[in-house]
Amino acid sequence: MINLVYNEMLKIVRKKRLFIIAAIVAVLVSLFTYAQFKQVETIRERIGTTDWRTQLQQQIIDTQNRLNSTGISEEWKKFLKIRLQQQQYYLDNDINPMAPGAPTFMRMFIENSIELFLPLLVMVIAADLVSSEASGGTIKLLLTRPVKRWKILMSKYIAMILSTSFIVFSVAVLSYAISGIVFGYGGWNLPLLTGFSIQGEELNTTGVHLIPQWKYLLIEFGLAFFVSLVVGTLTFMLSVLLRSTAAVMGIMLAALISGAILSSMVSSWESAKYLFMVNLRLTSYVSGMAPPIDGMTLSFSMTVLAIWALVALIISFYVFTKRDVY
Amino acid sequence: MPKRIISIVVAICVATTMLWIFGLIVTIQDQFFYEASSSTKQIEATNSNSKQKDALSIVALGDSLTRGTGDETGKGYVGHVMDELKKRTDKQIQFTNLAIKGQRSAQLIEQLKQKEVQRQIIEADIILMTIGGNDLFRGGEALRDLSTTQIEKEKKKFIEQLNTIFLLIREMNEDAPVFYIALYNPFNDLDNGKETSAIVRNWNYAASEVAAQYKSIICVPTYDLFELQVNDYLYTDKFHPNKEGYKRMGERVAALITLTEGEK
Amino acid sequence: MEETLVVQNVKKTIGKKEIIKGLSFSLKKGEVFGFLGPNGAGKTTTIRMLVGLIKPTSGKIFVCGYDLQKQFTKAIQHIGCIVENPELYPYLSGWENLEHFARMLPSISTTRIQEVVELVGLQNRIHDLVRTYSLGMRQRLGIAQALLGKPTVLILDEPTNGLDPVGIREMRQFIRTLAEQEQLTVLVSSHLLSEIQLMCDRVAIMSKGEIIRIDTVEHLLKEQARTYWNVHPIHIAKQILKNETTVLGEKDDFIVTVYESNEVIARCNARLIEAGVSVSSIERKLPTLEDLFIELTGGETID
Repeated sequence: MINLVYNEMLKIVRKKRLFIIAAIVAVLVSLFTYAQFKQVETIRERIGTTDWRTQLQQQIIDTQNRLNSTGISEEWKKFLKIRLQQQQYYLDNDINPMAPGAPTFMRMFIENSIELFLPLLVMVIAADLVSSEASGGTIKLLLTRPVKRWKILMSKYIAMILSTSFIVFSVAVLSYAISGIVFGYGGWNLPLLTGFSIQGEELNTTGVHLIPQWKYLLIEFGLAFFVSLVVGTLTFMLSVLLRSTAAVMGIMLAALISGAILSSMVSSWESAKYLFMVNLRLTSYVSGMAPPIDGMTLSFSMTVLAIWALVALIISFYVFTKRDVY
Repeated sequence: MPKRIISIVVAICVATTMLWIFGLIVTIQDQFFYEASSSTKQIEATNSNSKQKDALSIVALGDSLTRGTGDETGKGYVGHVMDELKKRTDKQIQFTNLAIKGQRSAQLIEQLKQKEVQRQIIEADIILMTIGGNDLFRGGEALRDLSTTQIEKEKKKFIEQLNTIFLLIREMNEDAPVFYIALYNPFNDLDNGKETSAIVRNWNYAASEVAAQYKSIICVPTYDLFELQVNDYLYTDKFHPNKEGYKRMGERVAALITLTEGEK
Repeated sequence: MEETLVVQNVKKTIGKKEIIKGLSFSLKKGEVFGFLGPNGAGKTTTIRMLVGLIKPTSGKIFVCGYDLQKQFTKAIQHIGCIVENPELYPYLSGWENLEHFARMLPSISTTRIQEVVELVGLQNRIHDLVRTYSLGMRQRLGIAQALLGKPTVLILDEPTNGLDPVGIREMRQFIRTLAEQEQLTVLVSSHLLSEIQLMCDRVAIMSKGEIIRIDTVEHLLKEQARTYWNVHPIHIAKQILKNETTVLGEKDDFIVTVYESNEVIARCNARLIEAGVSVSSIERKLPTLEDLFIELTGGETID
């Protein structure tokens, strides 16, 4: 089995996919670092201070003003209200959620990339794991070895898991290393609040507690890994079912983008919460953002995602071991 | 050579997989099995006084007028005041706009109880403020019911609250001059313009009486600015000032500020 | 002789269509067996069933006594194969490709890899990327990977496809050598009769999912090949030839007789000359595949 996994990793590495992905991450992180740097600068210019309390207070006032303007949707209003309560909580407890530093940037980067960017990267690897062997014809060589079919698929799946963690890791390392140049490398022990739970329009703070940023990051990256794994597994299934890598990518891309759109407009379509695409923003639960649909919690979303992944895995293995290869 | 690269990549992959799985375990333990009992421990404020010593700190409070609603340039009268001040002083200006659209006096009192708002007022050198427009006009509702008894009731309530607001501000900050910008009558040229004007004058008079009881609280009139050709200075909603209207307001307030600053 | 590959009444149905209609045959150690048939006759489907890529609807396949369905890994271990084109990983070098497949087999040493590389004569280019290989080199690399696990049965689907004449000849010799020296059973498919004739000991002729004939090449040729005599005058010659061999008829200026061995032909020639018949040419002709089919199936054409 170890040999088989080694084979798969060899192929992934030799196709240079991992390095291309790392390069993409590096470019994007640099871009965001610069954008973030610019934003900090403009805020400083606008209110003439770098004091975070003033900034946060200003943000609260801005949010309140947005709430009072007409023509904003109910969902958006609800979201703003919860944000407001949370910001107020940070202010009242004298905690700066935006303290500059590479770890803070990492946190923001992973929170913003968990829904679309990270799954896209994982998709690039997972999409052609099986389908490229089918379209290249090499699947015939693989399946005529004295190795059971499920073992071959399992080795590919393990390789997918390993490369997924590599991708998440490269996001972590690169965002830390690059943003640190601008924001400094400190801030691992910054206390952050978590454990918010949202009930209707109210923010429930009974379970709220402080954890250091490194732990917070570990949680968020763990969740990002989980999400990537689920998206990877679904892509993997499509890769088994379809011969064309392009078709696999097309379908996954459509699903992921529709998820990003749906989560901003489905609050009235309740059963949409069973779709995997609207459940990808797991980090929002940790930071206490309002979920797209009422009644969605971290455990709910994780369960939904796990079920999707499990079903996809079963289908993959069933089809792969039974199928005739032409 | 490539063989070593692959081995390194595989080693990284395995190690990080472990790390992320550990992260997931931490997640489950922290998010699902957290004991609420040991609740939030307060942490010490790290840098309590962050104000730059030589900076001129200006805090704006109030409603949509302070926000600048109706000014397409987004400046509002506060923007014009800032522009003027920047011309006149070399000091760095630190400006915080805490105004909220549609805010009434009662809500402003609530806002003044917030810790961070208090901190900013304490540090403020100058306070700008508009309040009362929403108490009086209630989104135009007042136009329909001009009965004096109702208006009198509202006025009485407002004056009490304004008093509270001034009291609160002075408790926090004894010296900073407060520029309370009084109301104008946006309905000046309507059929019942005379009646509404009377009400606004009355209202402003009561407010200036309150302001007069406090040191350095200046009631800035704007009624006269909008008395002639009111529609030239109003936004399309016929309620908020437009760019020109705000400019006039800003000029007036700015003129007053230099005076008080000179006294210092 | 030991039977290495046994096929018992194998059928394959896809949907309602029966693609393979019951095949039975067995191969012996050290023989080269040809699979002859036009495109679409079911050669490739059959080969895919033999290597486990397609599951037969019914019937059994045994490799060295192991049931391919029930003891897949044990059975397939004795098979080396190339199905259709030798498709390898173009972004790996030839050596890496071999290592890759070696890792999937139980205990293959580097020496063994070196051995097969030398066997197919790829030493010079083995560390180049497969992307840069010519078709012939890929074909040879394909055979190298098939031989890695020291198989008992080697299955090659159209092994000379796309090779130049020199390559085809080398391939033929190579296959014969493997069968004779290493005592491998080699199963080769082709749609070219000439190729099968030169390479194989026995041949199965397939058409529309059935084997219509299994025989030794010699037999088949004896039956189906013809000798054309360009002689003058024809009627005298015909008389003489009738005594020596079987005359099948006349065609244009030729007398057509059955395929004969060299001695018989030489004797006939001597007789003809003795009788004063002028012999301008004696030609042995293989039937075209089409002829063979018409002959064997009684009018069925290749479609």
